[in-house]
Parts: sequence; C-alpha cells; structure tokens
Amino acid sequence: MADSSAQKLDQKKDWSLTAPAFHRILKWLDEGASSDGRKYLEMRQRLVAYFDRKNCSAPDDLADETLNRVARRLDEENVTDSETPAAKYCYIVARFVFMEYLRGAQKDRLLCDDIRQQPNGNFAGSKLDNEKETQERLLSCLDHCTGKLDSLNRNMILRYYTGRERVKIENRRALASSLGISVNALSIRACRIRDKIEVCVRKCVGTK
Amino acid sequence: MSNQTYNNQALTEYLLGSLPEVETERFDELSITNDEFAETLKAAEKDLVDAYVQGDLAGTALVQFKSYYLASPLRRERVEFAQAFQTLAEKNLAAQAAELPGSNPAGPETKGNGFGWFSAGTVLTVPRLAWQWGFAAAVLAFLFAGGWLALENVRLRHQMTQTQTRREAFGQREQELQRELESSRSNNAKTEQELARVTEERRRLEEDLRKEQDRRRVDEKQQPSRPSEGLMVSFTLAPQMRSIGQVPTVSIPAITDYVAMHLDMESNDYPAYRVGLLDPSNNQVLWRSGKIKASGNRKALSVRFRAGLLKPQTYLLQVSGVPASGRSEVIGDYPFRVVR
Repeated sequence: MADSSAQKLDQKKDWSLTAPAFHRILKWLDEGASSDGRKYLEMRQRLVAYFDRKNCSAPDDLADETLNRVARRLDEENVTDSETPAAKYCYIVARFVFMEYLRGAQKDRLLCDDIRQQPNGNFAGSKLDNEKETQERLLSCLDHCTGKLDSLNRNMILRYYTGRERVKIENRRALASSLGISVNALSIRACRIRDKIEVCVRKCVGTK
Repeated sequence: MSNQTYNNQALTEYLLGSLPEVETERFDELSITNDEFAETLKAAEKDLVDAYVQGDLAGTALVQFKSYYLASPLRRERVEFAQAFQTLAEKNLAAQAAELPGSNPAGPETKGNGFGWFSAGTVLTVPRLAWQWGFAAAVLAFLFAGGWLALENVRLRHQMTQTQTRREAFGQREQELQRELESSRSNNAKTEQELARVTEERRRLEEDLRKEQDRRRVDEKQQPSRPSEGLMVSFTLAPQMRSIGQVPTVSIPAITDYVAMHLDMESNDYPAYRVGLLDPSNNQVLWRSGKIKASGNRKALSVRFRAGLLKPQTYLLQVSGVPASGRSEVIGDYPFRVVR
C-alpha cells in the first residue's frame, strides 16, 4: 500500500503536459463548443490576474501550474466532461495552488503580506534613469499599435479616452449614443480594444 | 449573475484589497467563473488606473492604490501603459484642435486688413490719380471682395455644419434620456414585482412558521418528555479534491430537525476553523459556524445546523482556517446533494 502511494507520488512529480493531455483540457474548457484555444487563453489570463491580485510573486507560473494540475487530473481520470463546471473546477484548483504557495512563502519568509506592506517609495525608487527613453519607446509602440487598428476602432478608442472628469463622462455618453449602445457596453468594448493594443505594445516593446 | 450583486464601488475596493474577506472570496471566484463579472472587473480596473494617472484619486483610495495596487510589477506595467495611453489621447486631442478652422492666425484678420487698405475713401483722397490706376485698384478691390465673400461663404457653411452637428447631438441626447426614462420605468416595474414576490414569500414563511410553532406546541403537549433538539441525522464528507464530478448524496427524512456533518480534512494546520453553508447557485451563505476546533486526532470537523435550511439541491460546505493572527483562508469545499 505504501509502495503504491509512493509510486503515485512519483508519477505526479514526473507528469508533464503531453499533446493529447493538452488537447483534452482545451476540449474540456470549451464545454462542447470549439473556441480554437481562446477559452484556454482566457482562463489563463484570469488565473494570472487572480494570483496577481493575491500579490503572488510569479502569477504566470502559478497559473500554468493550476492548468497543468487540471490537465493531469483530466488525463489520469480520463475525464471528457464533468458535473462541476470547468471554470469552477479551475478556481478550486487555483485556490489549492495559492494555499500551497502561501505555505511555501511562509517557509521562505516571503509571505505575500510582506509584499503588501512594502512602502510605496519602492515604486518611485525603482524607476530607472532611462525612464524617459522607455516612455518614448512605449509611446512609439503605442502609436504604431493604435495605427494598426481599423479606423472605426481607432477613432472609438481615442474618443473614449479623450477629456477629463465631466467632459470625459459626457464624451462617453455621446459616443455610446452615436454607436447605439449603452455606456457599460461601450466600456467593455473599449476595454477589449485596449487589451488588444496592450498585447501588441508588449510585443513591440520586447522587439525594440 | 446580475449587476445588483456588485457595483463599481465594491469592484474598486476589491481591486485595492480593501473589501471584506467574505466578499473578496466571492469576487475571486466570480473573476474566474463568471464571464460578465470578469469583463466588468477588467473595465473597472482600467478606469481605476486611468483615474490614478489623471490625478483623480484622492484620500484613502490614493493611499491604497500606492501601497497595495502598485506593489505588483504586472500592475505597475498597466499604470505605465495607461500613462502612455493618456499622452496619446491628449496628443490626438491637440491635433484635432489644430485642424479646426479659425485657429490659423493668418486668417480673417489678415484678410480684413488687406481689404481696409483698398477702401473707397482712401482712393478718393489721392489727388490727380490716373484713370488706369483707378481701374486697377477697382479690379483689385473687386477681387479681394470676391475672395472675402467666398471665405465668408465657407465660414457660414462650416457654422451651419456645426449647428447641424449640435442639433443632432441634442437629438441623440434626447433619445438617450428617453431610453433612460423608459429603462427607469421598466426597473420600477421590476422592483414592484420583486417587492410583491418578496412580500408573498415572507407571508408564506410567516404562515409556515406559525404552523410549525402550532405543531411544536401540539407535540410538546403530547410528548412532554421529548428532547427539545428533535431528530438529528449525521453524515461524513470527504474533501472535494478526491475526484471530479462525484458529489455525495445525503438523504434527509422530512421529520429531521438537525443535520450533523463530519468533515474529514487532509491536514490540521490551523488552531481553529469556520464552516459556512453555501448555495452554489447564487453563492449565498445560508449558515455560518463560530470558531471550532478539529476533533481529536481525526483531522475532522463536526458541525450541526437546522435541516430546514436544506432543500433538494446541491450545497457546499466551505471550510476556512483561522490562524492565531491574521486573516482566515478558505481551505476546502465539501459539496453534497440533498434528497428528501
């Protein structure tokens, strides 16, 4: 019995994501409707944001660890669909991963709370001397990426972020009205466009 | 998930790490499991970062933003991006302003001066002016007048377009207000319906309660020796992580007064625990225990609650570990399905 448990533990440690296991988790997250991997990417993004909000030091790694564990479970139990919704299951696993992270962090005296309590001066202090140069590069990339949008989306996003306070609010109301949508719907649409631009800018800054 | 269960203020507090623990856990879950919430949260985060960049944050919100939000490199990156985005939007606004007619300093003023110089009074005061010069001056004056009229025509057309645009904007605003009014009326109607439903539900519950009290009084008269706690059934549940999709079923007889649950745990790492009974369909907490300790060496918790809380559906017992100091953390879920 003890040998069997040890064997299982070794299997868990040795397990790595294979192509069939990856396809299985993609299909499972799609819940019957093919999304060409978009659901996986969306789930990964949500998990990264979750771990980041918890002030974990490597949110990307923890998100990948969560998805790997889910994939391993699906692979081991040969699951194609389950009663628990896919997103809910991912959340449960993420919480376990977070608790393990906390225990590990406690051991290493790197509890997330320590990070929370860091004085804000750290941010100001960590700014590099070439900040201006970085900002210029960022602006140049932003200009480039905004230019790649079609004219409708480009005009929309620029108008959305024009003005301040009352002017901005009025401006957004008028924009939503001219598009025939609610202000909330406009906000979500602008958010999606901005996400696209952010992805493009990250790539652009990385290559420059 | 309806918008009524969260608002912008709560989202902002969540993003700034200042929301109460129970709400934070609920939002954590929604941020991963609920598409609408995830989208709204993203938009709220961008608005919050923009407000910081534009200097609109003040007081506690600003302090929390600096101490909590800016603690993460990923979030600092978002602030840098928002700053760049703000600069771009401002540049765009400046470029649009420069393109507007009338902002060119060499515009109507220059034109006006030129025309004034060739005024009739000036021509007539020049003595013995040659006829040819007079004719040339008249032609030039005519040309300038023609040019001025053409420019004036363009300006008036532009003014008309602007007036038209403003009229359309007012029309749109009127339509928007009309829609808001209709929406408000519709919401009022919904609220009234909801109020009626809640009133009816309360009346029904009061009726049930009265019947239950009557029944108890009758029972007490008939069975004076019966213990006040009534009939209790007990079950043992294992943590959810054992397998996917196998929710244990518990059968509760109709005459049961209390349900006792023994929750097996993987480890006993906390000095105390709290257990909550949740309805997973709406994440509502139906019951919550006080601080309890794990029983003996069994790494198990025992809780007891009224059977009347349970209907035939799936429920979740959520266990939180309470450390000696600091905030408690959710450490396990125990789903179970009730049949009657």
